[in-house]
Amino acid sequence: MSGLSVPASGLAGHRAMAVIEARRMARHPVFLLGVVLAFVVLGLFLATTKGEGIPVVLTLPLLGAFYIGLTSVIAAARLTSSTDVALEAVATAPGTEARRTLALAATGIPAFLAGLAFVIVLVILAQVQGVTRQEWWFGTLPDWQVWSILLMCPVACLGGALLGVLTGRWLRFRGSAAVAVVALIVVSLLGQTPLLETSTSEWRLWVPWAIFSTGDNADGTQTLIAGNPGAYLGYMLALCVLAVLGAMWHDRTVRTPRFRALVAAVAASALVLFALAATTGNHDNRNSEPNPAGVSR
Amino acid sequence: MNQSRSTVELTGVGKRYGRKPALSDVDLAFDHGVTGLLGPNGAGKTTLLRIVATSIPADSGQVRLFGRDPHHSHAEVTAVRRQLGYLPQELGYPSDMTAFGFVEYVAVLKEWNDRERRTREVRRVLDLVGLTGQATTRVSRLSGGQRRRVGLAQALLGDPLLVVLDEPTTGLDPAQRADLRRTLSTLGHRSTVLLSTHQTEDVAALCERVIVLAGGTVRFDGAVTDLVATAVGRVWLADEPGDDALVSWRTGTGRHHVVGGTPPAGAAPAEPTLEDAYLLMLGPDAQRLGAPA
Repeated sequence: MSGLSVPASGLAGHRAMAVIEARRMARHPVFLLGVVLAFVVLGLFLATTKGEGIPVVLTLPLLGAFYIGLTSVIAAARLTSSTDVALEAVATAPGTEARRTLALAATGIPAFLAGLAFVIVLVILAQVQGVTRQEWWFGTLPDWQVWSILLMCPVACLGGALLGVLTGRWLRFRGSAAVAVVALIVVSLLGQTPLLETSTSEWRLWVPWAIFSTGDNADGTQTLIAGNPGAYLGYMLALCVLAVLGAMWHDRTVRTPRFRALVAAVAASALVLFALAATTGNHDNRNSEPNPAGVSR
Repeated sequence: MNQSRSTVELTGVGKRYGRKPALSDVDLAFDHGVTGLLGPNGAGKTTLLRIVATSIPADSGQVRLFGRDPHHSHAEVTAVRRQLGYLPQELGYPSDMTAFGFVEYVAVLKEWNDRERRTREVRRVLDLVGLTGQATTRVSRLSGGQRRRVGLAQALLGDPLLVVLDEPTTGLDPAQRADLRRTLSTLGHRSTVLLSTHQTEDVAALCERVIVLAGGTVRFDGAVTDLVATAVGRVWLADEPGDDALVSWRTGTGRHHVVGGTPPAGAAPAEPTLEDAYLLMLGPDAQRLGAPA
């Protein structure tokens, strides 16, 4: 009998698996549909406002997060459960389920890049076309706050894909991804809407997608909702990591003391970042200048 | 570690599904060469293969693969799986994957980390199963036989030292089955190949050793020729079906092939096949199977 060789696994193998999963995601029709819809809807919105500058610009990342992020949940969940049909062959290969799950986290790369492209296009268009005068935007807000709010779009897209991986690992019933999408929307809406116009609006920030800027108010102003968008971005990223760890938790072999400690550390980081997001930054909702007539460039 | 001499050693292995025993006190050992598993549906063939393929643990007894206990630790099972190729009885495929993509996916799981080497290996096994021309076709668009060959290709990645194939010939046409026999016979020179099948002619053509399972127990374990020899003098060609024959059927020549029982009047002894011997080995169980296809 031959001696058993122990080939080096490590990073190269993981990278190869991650590339495969990222490619599968980038070609997934549901994800592609979401990307196309995001840009088409943005284009239609801008087309109707041509010549007046871009209105409600800081709420537009929501379009990318909605179309790309939510379809990423479905696409990633399907990719995660798609190999279940070949489970016996796949599970008797040396790679563990946790390793396969970690590779599936790479489905977040195309989602993140699509969200990033959406934001870049938005910023370029805002530079070219201008924004309406009452906007919260560069010049009226610190740059880091604007960038933080804009980057919530790609991070939400990344989070959508990772939530899909989590869903695909734990929920095996038909339509589970759709249930996750509905739950995400319901939690995001019900979790923050009642608090938005109260003096404690910063505590809405526990939800996975928080609003920082309203659309136009009746008097032509816009409201910047309280909270620290930079810390909130960090909180979103911590939730992304928790989604990956939660998906990996499905594999019993991974539940080592070190892994448990890692989960606890990330969960603690998420709590700290949430607390920072809620207690630092803007403490009150602030209205912009009530001057909707002009266009600033 | 590596104290035992056989690639696969099963000692007193048992497995139950609920109250129903699937395997009872099975003692078997396998070394290089091709071994065929025969048995009726529900005999325990798939359970046995899944245990050997580390897919499920045995409930009782001892399983040693390459001298290791695959369920002792993660390191042990990983070491075993690095030398294992497994084609399950029912293998589905992700709908978005091509034949090449699926086999490459498994190759990555089997730690073919270098992209160039991996690509070469995937092409080699696809060529081995005659799917070079369909490499870029989605598996969902392939025929049943072609899909089966995709599954076979992933099992052959890296020429594993232990190859476990559960009904590999299902859905293959005669030419493809001949190709598979050639591939497996070559593989059997250096590897331990276990295959279960309902096709006795595959076992007769390919295997040096045959095991007949029924009711979760081993009914026969030995050379194919030895199993065939058990049927000598118990198979006839006759003008009438035997009254007390185990099974009989009318052949294309108009005469009856009679297996077991007392020879009908005017019966001429016939050369037994592995199938005859298998049916006689099963005894009354064979009557439930009826005449073979």
